[in-house]
Amino acid sequence: MNFEAVIGLEIHVEMKTRSKMFSSSPNSFSRAVNTEVTPFDLAFPGTMPRLNKEAVRMAIRVANALHMTIDHELHFDRKNYFYPDLPKGFQITQQRRPIGSDGYLEIRKGNEKKRIGIERIHMEEDTCKQTHFVDYTLLDYNRAGVPLVEIVSRPEMHDGYEAMKYVEAIRNIVVYSGTSDGKMEEGSLRVDVNISLRPYGQKEFGTKVEIKNLNSIKNIQDAIDFEIERQSKALLSGEKIRQETRRYDESKGATVLMRVKTDAVDYKYFPEPNLVPIRLSDAFVQDAIDTCPELYDSKFERYLQMGLTEKDAEIILSDPAMASYFEAAAPSGADMKEVANFLIVEVNSYLNKTGKGIKEIKMPATELGKLTLILKKEKLTHKQGADILFKCLEDGIGVEEAKKALHIEAMVDDEGAILAFVTEALDKNPQSIADYKAGKDRAISFLVGQVMKLSKGKAKPSAVMAKLKEEIAKR
Amino acid sequence: MKKVDKDVLVDASSRLLFTLKEEELDTLLEEFKILQAQMEMMKEVEGLENYEPMTFPFDVSVDYLRDDVPSEPLSRDDVLRNAGSVKDGEIKLPKVVG
Repeated sequence: MNFEAVIGLEIHVEMKTRSKMFSSSPNSFSRAVNTEVTPFDLAFPGTMPRLNKEAVRMAIRVANALHMTIDHELHFDRKNYFYPDLPKGFQITQQRRPIGSDGYLEIRKGNEKKRIGIERIHMEEDTCKQTHFVDYTLLDYNRAGVPLVEIVSRPEMHDGYEAMKYVEAIRNIVVYSGTSDGKMEEGSLRVDVNISLRPYGQKEFGTKVEIKNLNSIKNIQDAIDFEIERQSKALLSGEKIRQETRRYDESKGATVLMRVKTDAVDYKYFPEPNLVPIRLSDAFVQDAIDTCPELYDSKFERYLQMGLTEKDAEIILSDPAMASYFEAAAPSGADMKEVANFLIVEVNSYLNKTGKGIKEIKMPATELGKLTLILKKEKLTHKQGADILFKCLEDGIGVEEAKKALHIEAMVDDEGAILAFVTEALDKNPQSIADYKAGKDRAISFLVGQVMKLSKGKAKPSAVMAKLKEEIAKR
Repeated sequence: MKKVDKDVLVDASSRLLFTLKEEELDTLLEEFKILQAQMEMMKEVEGLENYEPMTFPFDVSVDYLRDDVPSEPLSRDDVLRNAGSVKDGEIKLPKVVG
């Protein structure tokens, strides 16, 4: 029997606001432990939540990008549970009225587009970070209260690839809207997968298994594909699937059991009494949407119009810093296809070699744009361009200066000029002509060398070779 | 409605990490009796199911949102001052998950 996998994803995204969701404590990822904490984050008596305006704007932008209906009145609820990661004893979230509901996004599967429904997106606060050791646990409250949006898809994905593309699309939206840095490895984008199997044609869902702790997009696909295989085998051998939480073990390439779920936990949700409903004006919502930075899909289309291939556009857009560097080259009137080539091959190789990020390189994007113009104008080869580029990157000098330092000059491919050099070289070296005619191929390399010498390296080698052969044949 | 007796109160207080004296338990039990009697009275009101629970006593909403400006956080010493045990700047607890 064949089974259909039914997959839904819950994604938590940490927003990169300057302060936390309900307190004015600073919000940055890299600070030393327990140094970004205010009395509210520790639930001191008398402290009250005050909602962050920027977090609301960001949530609106994400909701809009996901084609959702946006609730213009904000309502919050308490989700009650008793655990050390939450000193208040409850998390403030939006259970009854999420800020966004009923949207979708499109993923590309081969040449086709598939629409994945999104049930809701709501705002809430993050819990503190726990680090578990063999017999104790450490708590860092820097993360307690960090603004989150949770994005809940409908169970409309059916394999690991679709889930992977979905997460990729969500990441692109939150990164390019400026909402989050979307780094799965640092936990600023966290994905929980719900997956069940059912025989094809059956309407009822099978027993749901949850997979947690997926720290890369590739792991999501691998974990789901493994889980589909595991559940299929279990069902075929007559086993019952247990409702459980599993995690993905990358080294084993397998999901492993974390805990079996017993009864559903009752969080005793009730409306948060310390936050009265907040009305958002239409102008506020519209302004948040209008000021949203250009999103991934729009940039992608624009890059294709600049002449880039889909693959090149994807590579550049996979790093927002590279995308903004790329775009900064445009005003110089650059050949953007050539800029992309240099970025993807030469600049990337330089970054890998030096361990630098693109923001740290010494060459302004406009100089790279200028380089492409000089290559075209002076008919230089890509190799010569690359030499100039590396010189600029290493020495922090401009294109003109680097070109001068490397003694690179405009190439000559003018037929008359080349013919003059070729004739002179042939006249001076009759023996080489005889050697070449006698089958000694090396003789022509010698002649090319002579022409290059006469032209002071300016003659285009491919044009020289062709002209030499042509002239030798006439003699 | 859940019956609130001495065992329930002892269990609840122990979960909240404090101990109640015998006379405190008695006082609380008396108070719960009154509360529960009042809740029973509410059941006699007809048509309650047609109303939304009232969280806020007045139909009020605001448009106040806090500007995203960070303030000075507590010093780490202050953050850790009430912690029973501290290690490397973090609060140390017995392990609570497997």
